[in-house]
Amino acid sequence: MQLTDRIEKRRFVGREFLLWLWFESELFDGTLTTKEHGSFGFWIERQIILTRAKEATRIAGVQPAAAREAKESLLLGKMPEAAAFHISMGNHETTFTLKAERLLVTGLKLPTVLGTTPDAPPVDLSKARRPPPRRKREEVARQEQRESDEAHESFYERMQLTRDFEAVLEALYRDFLTLRLGEAWEGVAVQLRAWAAGEDVDAEAYRAERDRSMGGARRAPARARAAAR
Amino acid sequence: MPALKGSLTYARYFVEGDLPEDFKEKFGKAIRLRAMKPLDPDEEAAERSGWCRVGDPLEVDLGYEEVFYNSYVNLGFRTDRWAIPGPLLRAKLRDAESVYLKKAGRERLSRKEKGELKELVTKKLRRELTPATRAADVSWSLDEGIVRFFSASPKEGAKMEGLFTKTFALKLVPEAPYTLAARLGLSRAQDKLWADLEPTAIAAEEV
Repeated sequence: MQLTDRIEKRRFVGREFLLWLWFESELFDGTLTTKEHGSFGFWIERQIILTRAKEATRIAGVQPAAAREAKESLLLGKMPEAAAFHISMGNHETTFTLKAERLLVTGLKLPTVLGTTPDAPPVDLSKARRPPPRRKREEVARQEQRESDEAHESFYERMQLTRDFEAVLEALYRDFLTLRLGEAWEGVAVQLRAWAAGEDVDAEAYRAERDRSMGGARRAPARARAAAR
Repeated sequence: MPALKGSLTYARYFVEGDLPEDFKEKFGKAIRLRAMKPLDPDEEAAERSGWCRVGDPLEVDLGYEEVFYNSYVNLGFRTDRWAIPGPLLRAKLRDAESVYLKKAGRERLSRKEKGELKELVTKKLRRELTPATRAADVSWSLDEGIVRFFSASPKEGAKMEGLFTKTFALKLVPEAPYTLAARLGLSRAQDKLWADLEPTAIAAEEV
């Protein structure tokens, strides 16, 4: 089988990953845990889109996943196609939208410190300022060098934060795959169906089963859990 | 949503293959070779893509300083395309056809003549217009082996992949649930299950 076929045939896994993130964030009151990162805030906010073939349900709001239509859509066979998430880790707040089938990140807002200018507004050429008066060549060169250094520093900071953010997503995906490709998944699927139908799911029983499936390594150290609280 | 400021929208690609030993020199030359060349109204091509400076689509002079940011290669992926509005082309073509028929004293044009006339009118209109330019930032993290392409368009992504491979002689694999799982590494048992994986049904019955 060609790589492109293998990619296409496994796109549904991205939707199941989003569903699992939604399930865990609701079950654990917006606190997820990975071995690498300890506990951190993780929840859906602003928007969730569920689709089945060409039928789509878009829900917007403060807690879109809590809307009645969201789980009703699951019961109609729709699966999450995209969701907007919020990560709260230490003093850092990060928001982004994840598109399931391509694991595409859109609108990622990072907790940057340097070069915190927002998206630049379009330039109105009709109001363009007159060019500045001629300055000494050396002074101009120094200014350009300063701007270039600042742009580079700002870029490195953004990339470091992007890599940190991706490490969280990858850790969550790795945990999801461990569960999804393990013996426990059958039981998880039963709990997912019960949760989608609005039935109570025993969070601690699920956690114990999931941690067992992950070799007991999933639970964060007590210190990290206390820090997150 | 560029690499250098504002919120980020990007697709990731995993780079397959190893960097050559003298990659900075080789890549510097290869990038300059594939730097964006503006479209010429008289040439056949209706669209062309090439590299430009990150964050500055109009700057195609790509020196070492502008491209190498420590362990990152930063570029802009620019595509120029002649976008002649259909109604304008049809109106100009009608005018040209009637002038031609009148001159030739005929009532109809052959298919070949129609084709030649269309080419002439298109070239004339191109000289009066400016090509549409699109650009998206590309950041290649050399130590991670990851390219971040700052666009959500799969079509643009496929074009960028093509130019990347031509430039660097390295293949890009787009991120997807399948390719990320492969990159993270699966055990033999997981790999076996992964091969036969079926979707989980959440709805009580098939709806």
